[in-house]
Amino acid sequence: MIYKGKMSFAALLLAGAAFAPWLVSTASAETVLRVDEVAVGELDPAKASDYADSVLMFNVYDTLVLANQGAPGVQPHLAESWETDGKTYTFKLRSDVKFQSGNPLTAEDVVFSFDRMKAIGQGLSYLFTQVEKVEALDAQTVKFSLSTDYSPFISALLRLPIVDKKLVMENLGAGDGDMKDWGQGWLSTHAAGSGAYKVVSHNPQEETVMGKNADYFLGVPAKAPDTVRYRYGLEAATVRTLIARGEHDISSQWLPPEVLKSLAGEGAQLLTESGAAGFYIKMNTTKAPFDDVNCRLAVSKAFDYAAATKIVAVTDTVSQGVPATGALPQGVLGALPASEVIKRDLEGAKADLAKCKYKPEDINIELSWIGEVPLEERFALLMQANFAEIGLKSEVKKFPWALFAEQVTKPENTPNISQIFVNAVTGDPDTLLYGMYHSSAAGTWQSPEYLKDAKVDELLDKGRTVTAPEERAAAYAEAGERLKELAPTIFAYDQISVFAGSNRVKVPMMTDPSKAFSLIGMNFTFRLMEMNE
Amino acid sequence: MPAVLRLLAKRLVTSLIVLIGVSMLIFAIARVIPGDPARIALGPNATAEQVAALRERLHLDQPLVTQYANFVADLSRGDLGISLYTNRPVMQDIADFLPATLELVFAAGILMVLIGLPLGILSARYRDTWIDNLVRLVTLLGVSAPAFVWAVILMLLFAYFVPLFPIAGRISDSFAIPSVTGFLLVDTLLAGNGRAFLDAAWHIVLPAFALALSGIGQAARLTRSNMVETYSKPYIEMAQSYGFPEKRIARRYAFRPSLIPSLTIIGLDFAAMLGNAFLVEAVFAWPGLSRYGVAVILRKDLNAIVGTVLIISAMFLIINVIVDLLIAYINPRIRYSQRQS
Repeated sequence: MIYKGKMSFAALLLAGAAFAPWLVSTASAETVLRVDEVAVGELDPAKASDYADSVLMFNVYDTLVLANQGAPGVQPHLAESWETDGKTYTFKLRSDVKFQSGNPLTAEDVVFSFDRMKAIGQGLSYLFTQVEKVEALDAQTVKFSLSTDYSPFISALLRLPIVDKKLVMENLGAGDGDMKDWGQGWLSTHAAGSGAYKVVSHNPQEETVMGKNADYFLGVPAKAPDTVRYRYGLEAATVRTLIARGEHDISSQWLPPEVLKSLAGEGAQLLTESGAAGFYIKMNTTKAPFDDVNCRLAVSKAFDYAAATKIVAVTDTVSQGVPATGALPQGVLGALPASEVIKRDLEGAKADLAKCKYKPEDINIELSWIGEVPLEERFALLMQANFAEIGLKSEVKKFPWALFAEQVTKPENTPNISQIFVNAVTGDPDTLLYGMYHSSAAGTWQSPEYLKDAKVDELLDKGRTVTAPEERAAAYAEAGERLKELAPTIFAYDQISVFAGSNRVKVPMMTDPSKAFSLIGMNFTFRLMEMNE
Repeated sequence: MPAVLRLLAKRLVTSLIVLIGVSMLIFAIARVIPGDPARIALGPNATAEQVAALRERLHLDQPLVTQYANFVADLSRGDLGISLYTNRPVMQDIADFLPATLELVFAAGILMVLIGLPLGILSARYRDTWIDNLVRLVTLLGVSAPAFVWAVILMLLFAYFVPLFPIAGRISDSFAIPSVTGFLLVDTLLAGNGRAFLDAAWHIVLPAFALALSGIGQAARLTRSNMVETYSKPYIEMAQSYGFPEKRIARRYAFRPSLIPSLTIIGLDFAAMLGNAFLVEAVFAWPGLSRYGVAVILRKDLNAIVGTVLIISAMFLIINVIVDLLIAYINPRIRYSQRQS
């Protein structure tokens, strides 16, 4: 009987081996790109804010402007041209754009998209706080009136996807007023865009499937993937096995460095995206000992920047971080030159500590890290070791994100040190610096420093109001230098997102810096990718 | 009223009371754990005004009792609210994701019964031989390692080193099966697509086995120890002395009384798998309710947390009632005690 059982098991395995390739084969000529992200993608463009939301938005919808490739700034997209006097912006739209539904894209759609985003009040709608009114002057002309001069406005338009008004109005759900639910229910599972890819299906637990839009106004190259499967919530072990088996094409950026390294060792390509994100170690400037600038300077100089980038190194040439020069990552308008990379200076740290009004033996620094980001624990331990070298005691504390976000709303509850990854959501320096360092923005997860400095405020306000890029760059560079003097933050490194990719796909935006978009997430523009099979 | 019906009525009333208690408890717990659900839902970039507006829309600015009253009123209309995680009605999420979990749990349950019980019987029948020792070792391994460890080991062995089984999802991308019941094994048959059925069955093997291994171990070990104990009872000796065949003694006199504790444990394991499936679902990218439950807890999605917990509790209670009825059917003493009461 036992012998029979063994035979049956062996037979089952053999049968399985014979059947397995047949069962998993797709036997289809179409090219399929399989990508994943940890968080579920939000399909409604008015609510988009995360990475996956952005990738969906950039492929399914279009915006008035597009980020430049290989340089900061924006270029015309749906808008052919625009004029401005600082407070009003008048855009001339292309006349050859149609939505995926076949409806023509007009100025009315732009007005509707803005009104909808403002009414829903979620996602990145706060970027448009300065916009008072949007009007359609004619079918192809739209005018934005702002309450004040606001230079980052043009970049903010990268986050205003244009939705098909007619289609949305046909699918309004229950709600109050004429606009009912503004189509929120319908747009959470359907799309009303003009983008290069159409949504075929959307299952928030599993994946969003997208197909080529053959009528896209810029055309979709034949080599671009026919179908894209954007998968959600895959475990690192699963992604690793899927890529090794040739059943997945591009991982999320959240794979641990060891897994990325192992995949690279097996022949996977490492794709990188950089330019508008940084890892910031923030000090609460309202509490002892960091209410004394000398103490802040001491720990800033004691931090081992080289060790920090080693922690996130994937291979000898690819890392999830490169040394920072200041508050703005390299590639962002106003970033300090690459020659000014911040380095460890232990002697300088000791000298600054000697000038601090607090005695080292009386100091016990609370080093917090976010529970959902295990990598931060390694940095907390690195800091503990670094600070001990100049005689400072410290205590490592773990905070869940939800608790951390609440704690930082009051300076007295904010830890001495917080670790945060921040990116410029429009690629503009304003979206990175204003929220972190302007006095009016203190007390959020981005600004646990509670920095109050008139000079920084003045420079950040200037960056918002002057229009010439050179003047803006100068204002932000000066603000960067001032921030280095004040040292409210340890600028640990400029963040690089690293993705493991199969060799079936070419992603020029992530391998050739001259083709890289200056906006995070936009490098996943599927129509510019090439499938090799 | 027949004894079994009386037992059923009793159990249903108790279950309802438990369910009401669970709803109150989870409703309160979900709201007192740290973190503002509106802030989490809107993301780190949301302004204070946006957060306040969403809190108002979710009625989070109202007293807890008022919130619970609103919840009960909505629930009576079959409305569990909108999930902040998926932006869809929680009822729709549950309807979409529950069948995937149930299918996985049923498959694991079947494996547990089909492998666990025979292994236990085999072990008891050949106790203290190499067969018994081997079964005990294997079942000990099954019990001692959690399901997610088995999930990763099985994935490594049968999907990575020997690429025999698929590792993600419920069916290959090439099949488009219309959802009728939500159970893919059933829907593929209803669609008359044999290849798709085989493909779906092939997809469920590893996750179901990983989920079932602990239960298989428990069922086998318990069945073995119960049968060994039963074999030492005088009535077995009497049956042996009468010269009854071994098979008859094992099946009729030893197995049936030994089954009662095993059945209780299998029932509990079966119900517990509903909650424990989340790690297996995560490893195998199985789009089920358990994985959804964990995702919504991490995002403090209040409506979805309450909805998921209520559904899993209800399933747990239903399975317990079924097990109680089965045991009453097998064990005449329980039936008799019901008749007495």
